[in-house]
This record gives sequence, C-alpha cells and structure tokens, in this order.
Amino acid sequence: MLDSFFIAWKYIGYNKAKTATLVACITLISFLPVALQLLLNESERQLMSRAVSTPLVVGAKGSALDLVMNTIYFGDQVPELITMAASARVGDTELALPIPLYVRFRARGNPVVGTTLDYFHFRGLKIQKGRQLALLGDCVLGATVAEALDLNPGGSLVSSPETLFDLAGVYPLKMKVVGVLEKSHTSDDLAVFVDIKTTWVIQGLGHGHKDVTRLKDPTLVLKRSKSNVAATAKLYHFTEITQSNMNDFHFHGNLEGYPITAVIALPYDEKSGTILRGRYLSEKETEQIIRPADVIEGLLQNIFRIKNVLDAVISVVVLATVMAIILVFALSIRLRQREIKTIFKLGCSRLTIVRLVAAEILTIVMASGVLCAGMVFLVNLFANDLVRMLFIR
Amino acid sequence: MKRSLFCCLSRGFFLFWVLIALFHPPSVASGKEAASGGKLNIYTVNYPLKYFAERIAGDHATVVFPAPADVDPAYWMPDAGTIADYQGADLILLNGANYAKWVKKVSLPRSRMVDTSAKFRSQYITAHEVTTHSHGPDGAHAHESLAFTTWLDFDFAARQAKAIAKALGRKKPKLRETFQMNYEALHKDLMALDGEIKAVVSKNSTLPLLASHPVYDYLSRRYGLNLRSVHWEPDEIPGTGQWIELQSILKHHPARWMIWEAEPFQESVKRLESMGVNSLVFNPCGNVPDNGDFLMVMRKNVDNLRLAF
Repeated sequence: MLDSFFIAWKYIGYNKAKTATLVACITLISFLPVALQLLLNESERQLMSRAVSTPLVVGAKGSALDLVMNTIYFGDQVPELITMAASARVGDTELALPIPLYVRFRARGNPVVGTTLDYFHFRGLKIQKGRQLALLGDCVLGATVAEALDLNPGGSLVSSPETLFDLAGVYPLKMKVVGVLEKSHTSDDLAVFVDIKTTWVIQGLGHGHKDVTRLKDPTLVLKRSKSNVAATAKLYHFTEITQSNMNDFHFHGNLEGYPITAVIALPYDEKSGTILRGRYLSEKETEQIIRPADVIEGLLQNIFRIKNVLDAVISVVVLATVMAIILVFALSIRLRQREIKTIFKLGCSRLTIVRLVAAEILTIVMASGVLCAGMVFLVNLFANDLVRMLFIR
Repeated sequence: MKRSLFCCLSRGFFLFWVLIALFHPPSVASGKEAASGGKLNIYTVNYPLKYFAERIAGDHATVVFPAPADVDPAYWMPDAGTIADYQGADLILLNGANYAKWVKKVSLPRSRMVDTSAKFRSQYITAHEVTTHSHGPDGAHAHESLAFTTWLDFDFAARQAKAIAKALGRKKPKLRETFQMNYEALHKDLMALDGEIKAVVSKNSTLPLLASHPVYDYLSRRYGLNLRSVHWEPDEIPGTGQWIELQSILKHHPARWMIWEAEPFQESVKRLESMGVNSLVFNPCGNVPDNGDFLMVMRKNVDNLRLAF
C-alpha cells in the first residue's frame, strides 16, 4: 500500500501546477462553509451571551434594537433619552437592581460609557492596571482602547465635541485615566468607562467655576442682586477636574431629572422580573422594558435567513467543483493511457492501477484536508476578534 | 532516502492533528466567588449612622466612619484611599438630604448605598436663604440647600435606624430577627429622648431661643421650638457685624438662651450674658464625641435644654 502512495507522491510532485490547482479548489470549497458556520456560531454566541446575561433593559419607547445595541454593544445610534428617575423607579420597586447607562459621547472615536460601579461587578470586569473609578473626571479604559491609544494610568483622554460647529457649546472635558480593564473579549474592551456624573459634566449639566457669590472681579459679574448673581461669559469654566477645583464642581437641580440612555435592571429573582415587566405594560407608559435576548434572537433569525441563502449558493458551487474535479481526474486518466498500459505490461494487475490512482486522489484530498484544517484552526482561534471586527463593530 | 522523507511527512501530518487537538481553546466557564459569610463591613458618612448601625448589627458587623475627629463630616472630602475603602464596603450608609456633599463627586456602588432618609425625602427642610446665580443661556439656578441634621428629629432618627435594620436584614437574612430586636431596643431609646424633649418644651413652647448655627431645623420643627439662627462658630469670636445682627434679632425675638453646637469661647459667653443671653450646648454629634456615645451626648443635650425651660 505504501508503495502505491510513494508512486502517487512522485507523480503529484512532478505535476505541481495541476496538483496545486486541485488542492486549492478542494481546500477552498471545504473551508468556506465550515468557516462561515464557525463565524456565525461565534457571532451568535457573542450576541446571545451578552444579551442573555443582561436580563432586562429599560429605555424610552422606540426602536428596541437601537436601545439594545446602544446599551449592550455601545452602538453609535443613541436611543431617545430618559432620566435618572427611571433608574430610581426601578430601584424603588425593590424588585431589581438598577444600573443606569449614558452612552452618548465619544472620546477619540471610542464610546464613553457613563455608569455606576455596579456595572463592573455585574459584567465581572476587573482592573488590570491602575485603580477603579473614584473621583469625578476619572476614566477607566477597556483593554483594546488602552492598547490602540497607547494610554496607561496617569494619562489623560479628552472627550470629543458632539458637533464641530457648536462654537457656543460645552468645552471638551479632559479626563484622567486611572485604570485599564482586563481583556474581556466583549464590547467592554472597546469602551471608555466613566462615572455617570462625569458624562453629565461632559454634557455641561455639571460644571465647575469659581463661586459667583464671592467674585471680586467686576468684569465677571453682569448683575448682582440680593437673591441672584448673573455672571458674564468671561466666567471661566474648568475643563479638567482636579483635587484643587473639585469643590467648585456642582450640579444644578435634582439629579433625578438628568438624562441617561437606558437602565439595566437586574431582578432579584424570576418572579420579580415578571412583576417588573408588568409595571411597564400601560399604554400611557413612556418607557419600555425589554428582554435583550428576545431582540437579539429576532436579529439572529434574520441573519440565519441570509445564511440559508448563502448555504444554497455554496451547495451549488460545491456540486459544480466536485463535478469539475471528477472531470479533471477522468481526463487525467485518459491522458495517462500510455503510462497505464506500460504499468500493465510490466505485470501489474488492474487493481494495482486502481490503487495508484486512488492513492493520488487520497493524497490530494488529504493535503487539502490539512490545509483546510489549518485555516479553520486559525479562524477558530481568531473567531472572537474577527466577529467583532466584521459583524458587531 | 525518499521513502524516509515520505514517512516523515506522514508522521508530521499525524503530529499536526495531535497539536490541533491539544491546543484547541476549551470552552470558557465563568463562575463567581461564593459570597463570604463573615462579618459585614459597613461604612457610614456620619457618627449617628455609625452608632445606629453598631447598635443594630452588634457583633455581626464592623462599622467604620473614617472622617478625622476634627472635621465636620458634612463638608469633609475623603482621599482616594478612603474612597476605595468605601467602594469595598458591604454597605454604605448615607444620611441623605445632601449631607456629605462628597458623595456626589465620587464613584460608589449604588447597589450597596443605603439612603437612610429616603423614606421621608418629601419632608426635608429647604434652607430659606438661597442665592441663585446665572451664567450662559440656561438662566438662573440655585445650589439646592437642604437642612441635613435629620437625626435631631428623633422620630426621623428612628426611621433612619429602621432603614439600616432593613438593609442589614437584606444582607444577612438569617440574622433578620436579631437585627429587628436590636432595632426595637434602639427605637425605644430614641423615642424616650423624643418624649423627654417634648415634655421639656411643653413647659413653655413659645419660649424664644437662639441657635448659634442653622443646624437645628429638624429639632425645631419636631418639638415646636421658637428658634432663630445666626451663623456663629463656637471656636470663633463673633465680629462686630455679627453682634449688631444679634441685637437687631433680639429686638423682635427676645431670647434669653442661645444654643451652641459645642462649648463656646468664654469671651462670647460673657458678652452674651451681658446682653441677657445665656448659653447652652446641644451637640448635634455629627462626628464621634470625645466622651461617651450618641445616646449619652443626646441625654446630656436634653439635660442642657432643661436649663432654658
């Protein structure tokens, strides 16, 4: 048997171009459906695992997909805003723990995620370098962001203005990088985390300036009465929060009226979750409560419908390729008639000739198998990053 | 030679598959550490809450109030290390009513924060004198100024203690009965103080009184004190303007007693006496007292208040 493989090996080595073409054809045609399946499985796993691990999301009524994509994957599309009162409302029910999220702003192209420390605990995110958020203006970077921007604790990151032409708008905030998260292989790696109050400072709702009631420079005061001091535009607003100006930062009014994009609700048990969902059923309700898993399942069903079409196309291509390969071998055998006759005259049986051709085919198929396995192995190894690069972001 | 090369390739192919099998990434299993069943680690933002938590939790918790003894906890700002300690606590007891303004400027886990006065939020007292300011297009806005010494209304203090007992019960359900029992004992003590002050004030409920600092709003409202406040510090000699302001108040509010947060300077006491105003101390006890505990300080406060009535 080994002799047949040896002669087949020599033949294959002699006809390099033909062998390479056949190996490439078989490799590609077997690799494509397997790789596609692998990537789809990984994207399903990624999308679903994050969606399933997020029990309920409360947000403004509107596109559920936008809400989920913004809340879970920090997508660019900002849903209608709600207020912190929505978070307090969830907390007051004592049915679930609310985690408010404000995902609206960006810093050097990365989403700035305003939330509370409970988010890190909920997602199991751990600090790899530096420390956790502590003060207003602190930020913690996802592993990929830190790597891409080459930032470490002690560095700084400036928030991006929402529009370039808003000259009268709020100055960008210089945030202090205090920590870098461990890689989690999720969207959290691509985010800049800040305390939710810091996002309000980025928006200009919270700000820092000298105490206007104690201003001595007359050019800073427009009008002073017993109950009100009107400051001029010259009044400097701090663009960085430091230990020295921390006390001058303040928020006006009730924080419950401040904006957020969503609230992740973590019910204490299944029954609590069901009761909580029931609280948002009224037609007059301005907020919606959704199970991200339901929304992502709907999205995946659409993806799989497309996959079925792709499968059909690939099946036809596979059939055509297999037929072409059979034709190549049939023609090859016809071209080798003289060679086969010589082998026969040397005293070899017909079975030996069949074994020789079978060994050639088997070697080519095995070589394709090895190549295909190698490529599948690589795709599998980098499936996580590939999916996030190609599909999720 | 060529045959051995072929054998090498066959072996290499086999080895390749073995390596794939060995290095194939295993499925990731996630798990959380089981919650530890030891003592609860509780951090508070003032001393009364520390005292309440200690009374209710007993030996089942370590209660920490890390502010230095010489600062007013309402205006204190902890350093990064202390904030990290707060972040690591099992429970963070807040007073509410904008007490401890630093809480708004730091990141704390909301799931472990307990606003002990949340249930009576609608009954907070807003300060009368608020200066608004305006800059930019948003119009005038005021820095909300709420009175925050809620625990001087002993009914509120009891409700804050109840919130603590409830939070502790949620953390340690098996000890819920113990916490409830301890809370009831504390409630009894607080209500006894409540009753005592009511009895003292009922002797002359219209008696005009002065407060050296506007920290007695809740005390005044609960027990119906006829109280006017000035902005004096016990460790500072009042300036001329402050004495003039006092004289003008006394014309319409003929008080014979001034309530101080702490023992005032003798010079201030004597000058007040010359104006016919005596001094007594009613320590709000926001920080850890030099001697005794919250209850002892409050009993002393009630005894001091008797002098006026």
